[in-house]
Amino acid sequence: MLLLEAFGVMGAAIGAGIVALGAGLGIGTLAGKSVESIARQPEASGDIRGAMILTAAFIEGVALFGEVICLLAVLAGK
Amino acid sequence: MIHRKGTYYFVSHYFLIITFLLVNLLFPKLVLGNENKENIDVHRAEGKKEIDMSKIMMHHVVDAHDWHITDIPGSESGEYIPIQLSLPWILFNFTTGSLEFYKNTAELHATNRYVVAHEHAVPVSSTTPVTTISVDSAEIDHHGYVVTEDHHGNKAIYSKNAAIQVLDLSITKTVLQIALVCVLLLLVFISVAKSYTKRGISAPKGLQAIIEPVIVFVRDEIAKPNLNGKHDKYLPYLLSLFFFIWFSNLFGLTPLNSNIAGNISVTVTLAILTLILILSSTTKSFWSHIFWFPGVPLPVKLLMIPVELVGMIAKPFALTVRLFANIVAGHLMILALIGLIFILGEGGSNPRAGFVIAPLSLIFGLFIYAMEFLVAVVQAYVFTLLTAVFIGQAFEDHSHSHDHLHSHETKHH
Repeated sequence: MLLLEAFGVMGAAIGAGIVALGAGLGIGTLAGKSVESIARQPEASGDIRGAMILTAAFIEGVALFGEVICLLAVLAGK
Repeated sequence: MIHRKGTYYFVSHYFLIITFLLVNLLFPKLVLGNENKENIDVHRAEGKKEIDMSKIMMHHVVDAHDWHITDIPGSESGEYIPIQLSLPWILFNFTTGSLEFYKNTAELHATNRYVVAHEHAVPVSSTTPVTTISVDSAEIDHHGYVVTEDHHGNKAIYSKNAAIQVLDLSITKTVLQIALVCVLLLLVFISVAKSYTKRGISAPKGLQAIIEPVIVFVRDEIAKPNLNGKHDKYLPYLLSLFFFIWFSNLFGLTPLNSNIAGNISVTVTLAILTLILILSSTTKSFWSHIFWFPGVPLPVKLLMIPVELVGMIAKPFALTVRLFANIVAGHLMILALIGLIFILGEGGSNPRAGFVIAPLSLIFGLFIYAMEFLVAVVQAYVFTLLTAVFIGQAFEDHSHSHDHLHSHETKHH
């Protein structure tokens, strides 16, 4: 029983890690492309920054869904 | 070559130090020998509980019926006297149809009709003997019994009274702090408004100089680009939203205060307000895109109905979870970092490990704390921006700008 609980917590922790990985990948790509675009066209930096923050919020939202589910998995195991 | 040798020397030197620190940190008992082991056993024998950090962390982020500041040790061992502001319990009893009012939790327990478990007033049968009034912890087990425990470890079991249904309308810690934030907002904005009526449109001064750029930012960067031509109509709501979220996040970062937006009821309420505003500003074209998507074959039209409906509900849901999880995560991170000192220090029985981890914890905690100030304003901005975007989508005339719409839709789902 103890082992099973430990596996449950481990699963949630690994899940949280994978979620962070995905979100990091997404935000990294987004930030990289945005900086590239700003470098190419500095006069559009305001618009690009706005779009970047909006999209970052969406990526972050998905990541947080994942994290909340991991948290719930840990709490449900207790 | 000499330089390289020197580098190697330094690398190996640092390596040794870091290894020593890590070993010291991770296996304090290994380095210190067995001298602490007896100590721990003595503490356990005295009845000192191990530190349950997750319980402490949850206590900090969930809503409560008292504004708890700290505990001081009482006269008996294991007894703690809380220093707190007790908040009233206001319960609406559906069975008798009356509003019940109790000054604090002790008074609620004294009625012998309720036991507080997980910050909920659970109605219990008054026939069961009430042995403990000073409840230290209460749990509801799988059979519907409420098991309470006082600081001596004495247990009492109550059976849940299913005949009584209560609605908790209490002024809890979060409610009180929302009221405080509202008072703060009123003070700030009434004073700013007064200075405008007194001095007219001129260069801003004092508080005005802080608030005016923010208002202009919300108007020009959030409202105008997303609400074509109608931004004046929605600006009051957007400004209220922005300043409420921002101020409450900042309020939660000051000592003694809780995280207001880290309470999911608060963020659900804000998201529902946004949903109402979205639905009330819809046009015919918005609904036709949900129930009869133009320009696609019939089977796809039918398929699009549930997809679009889920999309409509997903917007406020995402708003809710984003704000809630961001604020809670920040607070939990700081608590976990500070808690690391006590976990590794084993509640004072292994002070050396505690001292080793303390500087690291403080530095990382301070870093997260500084980041939280940024998160406070970014989350206020994102919530307001998305509200504006969603409202803008609701009354956008789709028939003229189909390509534009589709690029929008793929971006937002």
